[in-house]
Amino acid sequence: MAEKKPRNRVGIEADRVTDVSSTDFPGYYPGEDHSWNLEKFQENLKIHIEYISELNAEFDLIGVDASIANAFRRIMISEIPTLAIEYVYIENNTSIIQDEVLAHRLGLIPLKANPDYLRWFKKDDPDFEPTDYDTVVLQLSAKCTANPNAPEGTTDPKLLYNNAHVYARDIVYEPQGRQSEWFPEGIAATNPDILIAKLRPGQEIDLTMHCILGIGQDHAKFSPVATASYRLLPTIDIIGEPITGELAKKFRSCFPKGVISINSKGEAVVKDARKDTVSREVLRHPEFEGRVRLGRQRDHFIYTVESTGAMTPDEIFLKSVQLLKKKCQILRKFNLAA
Amino acid sequence: MASKTAEHEDTHAPEIVDQEMVDEEIPEIDPNKIQILPGASEDGTAASFRILQEDHTLGNALRYVIMKNPEVEFCGYSIPHPSEAAMNLRIQTYGEITAVQALEKGLDDLVDLCDVVESKFRSAIDKGDYETTQPIDN
Amino acid sequence: MNRESFLPPSTQGSSSAAAAGRAYQPTQAITYLCANCAAPNTLTRSDPVRCRECGHRVLYKQRTRRMVQFEAR
Repeated sequence: MAEKKPRNRVGIEADRVTDVSSTDFPGYYPGEDHSWNLEKFQENLKIHIEYISELNAEFDLIGVDASIANAFRRIMISEIPTLAIEYVYIENNTSIIQDEVLAHRLGLIPLKANPDYLRWFKKDDPDFEPTDYDTVVLQLSAKCTANPNAPEGTTDPKLLYNNAHVYARDIVYEPQGRQSEWFPEGIAATNPDILIAKLRPGQEIDLTMHCILGIGQDHAKFSPVATASYRLLPTIDIIGEPITGELAKKFRSCFPKGVISINSKGEAVVKDARKDTVSREVLRHPEFEGRVRLGRQRDHFIYTVESTGAMTPDEIFLKSVQLLKKKCQILRKFNLAA
Repeated sequence: MASKTAEHEDTHAPEIVDQEMVDEEIPEIDPNKIQILPGASEDGTAASFRILQEDHTLGNALRYVIMKNPEVEFCGYSIPHPSEAAMNLRIQTYGEITAVQALEKGLDDLVDLCDVVESKFRSAIDKGDYETTQPIDN
Repeated sequence: MNRESFLPPSTQGSSSAAAAGRAYQPTQAITYLCANCAAPNTLTRSDPVRCRECGHRVLYKQRTRRMVQFEAR
């Protein structure tokens, strides 16, 4: 190899990956200081935000170890508290969907409510009485009837019947105690169009729901994210002689659109390695052997966070950082030296 | 039914709820959350800890920062059994500090790290140098 | 046990309801729902099983009015 490969580079070859593990520990490189240094970390850490929309975000965390990046990802998925339906009190359900299935479906509906205003419902305490501090009450009642004014000959259930479809928007929030102060906008499903059940004339659903705080570790319905994942930034290095002419076009076609461009001299240049899917298609062609090096940057994490709507994705990430900090602080309170 | 309302003190105003309620919310922490396992060395330079209700999330992150300490010879963690919510952490030092001190420094360093990540992320948000819609792939 | 060996409970010797230990009950009327037109039909024991609105012969018993609790899991 001509030039020295950067240390933070994972190598990607046709049949293997190389240099996967971190090496930034004291004693790994002789004569180098790799001890924890807050100033150095602060200097090296870079955060780039690609986009933050209402429900989705993509941002880069550059200069952290995989163990830290993974902790944030794991916390986002399984340890951030949110509100979800936990108890369903069914007064009547004559729909074809069974009580327990209906209850399960209701539980999975993401709710929009700020969890900071609620306390934990102590499930393991049999004497625990629900209060307005920890329980949100929702109501759902729907009765399907035949529509006498239905157009002649129609087969559309929405026209033939009233309330043929029960949606998440039909859930009614019933503020308890001082909840109307804490949740002035009310509490509702983040997506009003979730279909809960279909009814036919004479069928009826009448139930009350109690929502409590929980975490994704306990049940996926409490997870604030649909997905939270990261990938390492792909790298493409063209080594040695530039790739030109027809070969450059072939080289370009080995990558997704927008990754490789051809400059005015007819040479293939890396335009945007971020868009690469790392399919390793180039490595299948003998003409590119030794002319390209694929890799990933080991300390460059591209996070993709998809919120369920309970919180904004940036809020979710910030909460994950705060939660990791809190975990440490809790352990720090113990006096182990004694 | 949740219609039963808790006794409210008037000091509980919703504006301050944000931080206040979160703080008072720190639930009764298990007094056995962390224990030193039997078999630690006499001088305390090598010890294993058992941390309850923790997993790879804290285990690996803590292992990383503790390994960053030049006084630490070895640090590793394991989850002995998947159905037990417990994580074991092993620390051995070169002898200048105790395993407990290494753990405490690791926790402090991890707190500092989180603070840096949080403030950097917040300033990136404040800068507002990003799109607010998801780009459409084509 | 084959079908023929089944004996209906004998009321011989105590032909009256009171003698059999049963309390007096007015003829019980139960509301059923028509499977065809969903109309409620209040029937007594001797009524034919038939919807009064549409003549359909399938009637459903109504669901219990008792509240049932479920965990949304």
